[in-house]
Amino acid sequence: MKAQKGEIRVITGNAAAAYGAMLCRPDVVASYPITPQSEVVEQLSRFHADGILDAEMVEVEGENSAMNIVAAVTLAGGRAFTATSSAGLAFMFDAFLMTAGYRAPVVMINVNRELTSIFSVSGGQQDIMTVLNAGWVQISVENCQEILDSVIMAFRLAEDIEIQLPVMVCYDGFYLSFLAEAVEIPAREDVDQFLAPLKLQPERTKLVPEKPLGCGTHGILRGFMELRYKHCAALERAKQKLEEIDREFGEFFGRSYGGQIEEYRTEDAEIVVLTSGSAVGTARTVVDAKRAQGLKVGLIKLRMIRPFPRERLTQALKGKKAVGIIDRSVCFGWNCGPMYMELRALCPDIGFVPMMSFIDGLANMDISIPHIERVIDDVYAASQGKPYQEVTWIPLEE
Amino acid sequence: MVQKAKKLPRVFDYFRDEDQFVGGLAFCAGCPLELALRILSKVLGRETVLVGTPSCSAPVIHGQNIGTWHRLPYYGCLMTGVPSSATGLARYYRKVGKDVNVVCFTGDGCAADVGFQPLSGAAERNEHFIYICYDNEGYMNTGIQRSSTTPRGAATTTTPVGVAGRGKETSAKNLPLIMAMHRPSYVATATLSHLEDFVKKLLKAEEKRKEGFVYIHVFIPCAVGWGIESDSTIQVSRMAVRTNYFPLWEAENGKFRLTHTVATPKPITEYTKLIRKFRHLTEEELARLQEEVNSNFAFLRHLTEFGGGESPSNAEG
Amino acid sequence: MVIMKEFIKYEAGWSDADELLLCLDTGSWRTKRPVVDRQKCNYCALCALYCPPQCMVNMNDYFTPNLDFCKGCGICAKECPRGAVTMVPEGEFAHEGAKR
Repeated sequence: MKAQKGEIRVITGNAAAAYGAMLCRPDVVASYPITPQSEVVEQLSRFHADGILDAEMVEVEGENSAMNIVAAVTLAGGRAFTATSSAGLAFMFDAFLMTAGYRAPVVMINVNRELTSIFSVSGGQQDIMTVLNAGWVQISVENCQEILDSVIMAFRLAEDIEIQLPVMVCYDGFYLSFLAEAVEIPAREDVDQFLAPLKLQPERTKLVPEKPLGCGTHGILRGFMELRYKHCAALERAKQKLEEIDREFGEFFGRSYGGQIEEYRTEDAEIVVLTSGSAVGTARTVVDAKRAQGLKVGLIKLRMIRPFPRERLTQALKGKKAVGIIDRSVCFGWNCGPMYMELRALCPDIGFVPMMSFIDGLANMDISIPHIERVIDDVYAASQGKPYQEVTWIPLEE
Repeated sequence: MVQKAKKLPRVFDYFRDEDQFVGGLAFCAGCPLELALRILSKVLGRETVLVGTPSCSAPVIHGQNIGTWHRLPYYGCLMTGVPSSATGLARYYRKVGKDVNVVCFTGDGCAADVGFQPLSGAAERNEHFIYICYDNEGYMNTGIQRSSTTPRGAATTTTPVGVAGRGKETSAKNLPLIMAMHRPSYVATATLSHLEDFVKKLLKAEEKRKEGFVYIHVFIPCAVGWGIESDSTIQVSRMAVRTNYFPLWEAENGKFRLTHTVATPKPITEYTKLIRKFRHLTEEELARLQEEVNSNFAFLRHLTEFGGGESPSNAEG
Repeated sequence: MVIMKEFIKYEAGWSDADELLLCLDTGSWRTKRPVVDRQKCNYCALCALYCPPQCMVNMNDYFTPNLDFCKGCGICAKECPRGAVTMVPEGEFAHEGAKR
């Protein structure tokens, strides 16, 4: 059984996100504008006004309310969607924590933007990196097609009875948000069919007027520990579940993204570059060029950032001679990139391997082709035993 | 042997259901909040979805691990998220065709301070749920700290009286009036001393909820926090009405009327003398409080003249 | 690792009145209890209405407190228009044993 060919339209990343959400038929959409996300909610409002989206639209007075609304809807048994960025993510943070802890299967788009720790309206990933420890599933995507597809997969993942976790699909603001690409938009019936297995599963617990159930009990002592444990266990299960969903998506729609990570030309690679988000597209080009010059370099695209794809990465990195990690954010207190820091934690599993942190792309600085060439050259030098600089802020060395 | 009353008071007729709360609840002895919650449960019945948040009512509304203190469905959330969570519930239930009373039950700290933004948003959007704010004029559950509905001059743990402090320095915000200015479906004030008025307003809330947002502001003297005897909380509520400190009114879509008029309001000192948190006030400070009460009531009176309908003529002395 | 014995059967923080309904022994809080004079009581029911734990029991021509839950706040005595309710210190009932 394969899906029919979808309609191809040239749309922005934001519009792709809106299409993805609309196709999944959410019951309630909460909208609040914030650059660079505003078009997502505008497009959804347009769908609603044109009769294409049959959802309760709530134009909220702040992102904090948006998160509370969508969490409540899913805990009452419905499907809900919202989108935010940067300061909005920060503003909804108390509810963001609650949503994960209450196991509300919300799907949210985050259009990555520098978190306002320096006031900035520009692209960066500090916002999503700051909330890593909240208990959400976080998936980072590379292009507009992947945005749309990941939203559909996100609903399938979030609402799965074995998972029941909120999922955040993240894409780089200013790079993907306003970039128009050709995107294949699946037919509505096909998306319905892809999400249909959820209806065959047992119903999740929900707040209904007929039953004396309370949502959000006060957890204490062992009961709390039990709930926390179950949450962590569900996050672990999400890894394998994403692999399965991605595979099924590939078989049905013809597009697959590798699950937790995508390994590009890594099998025989001696050195590896690892990054996430829109920079992956550029990195592919540079890796191909370097390969053509005879360098055995591979690329790992980090898709699932939470839960951390420990097993897949361990397998991908075993035996590699050096790894360079490009972060579009910083890890305060460790003076390096956050993904670099997490990769370092794998050293006991993969054996010691020279790892280098490259910080680039903050506040709309492009992670350009020359930058990635430099990364590969530096990583190669490290693999040859030359002394290397552990952390490099690429633009600042120019 | 005295003549026995033939019938129970009319309030009993409005009880639709049994009390859904267990007999032993963690409310202080004499707390009108317990009365409010139990009466609400009896009047609105068991298919009410309560939305609660950290406050004096939280140890009762929220469960403890899997255990719970009542048989009502509830949603326990953060103080910043009560009206927004209720919006989500109300919108979803309506979408799937369930006619449910979603009732938020929070203190003044949540409604007037930290949760005010979402409350204003929900009122402006005229969301279809009931928001009940119980005003004990402070953050009582955390230890009697001041909130923005604490009256001027009141002693609290964050506005204590000493050589450098005379209690709270600013006047309380008039939260029910602010909510009425959003012109939602229905706004009302109530006390537990005037029980039939309270119950009727609950029933009206249920009706008006079908058209839009409902806000009820209930006056709750706190025995522990204000310094009154546990047996006097109802008496203090009554005196608040009789001094026009807490007038009983309602506003449907922005049109005001008093639901209870007081022919000869008592001086505010009749109220403050019952309450220890006002004990330190000088004559000048009391006069200022009286002036505040007078002008607030006069303002309210003017609002009722804008076509709200008749105020009752059976005024209480 | 595996959870040895599951206390909460739900995946998340749900409480369930059908599973576990809690109740506090609030009757043990009081230091005085209301005593109703049946001769003076005119069955107006104000004590029953104003009782915060709503624990006044309807005895058909008078009301009496449910001592399992009466906290001894005294509102019934204060509000009774006939003065039919008196608050009596618990010590007077010590001979009756715990709580009765």
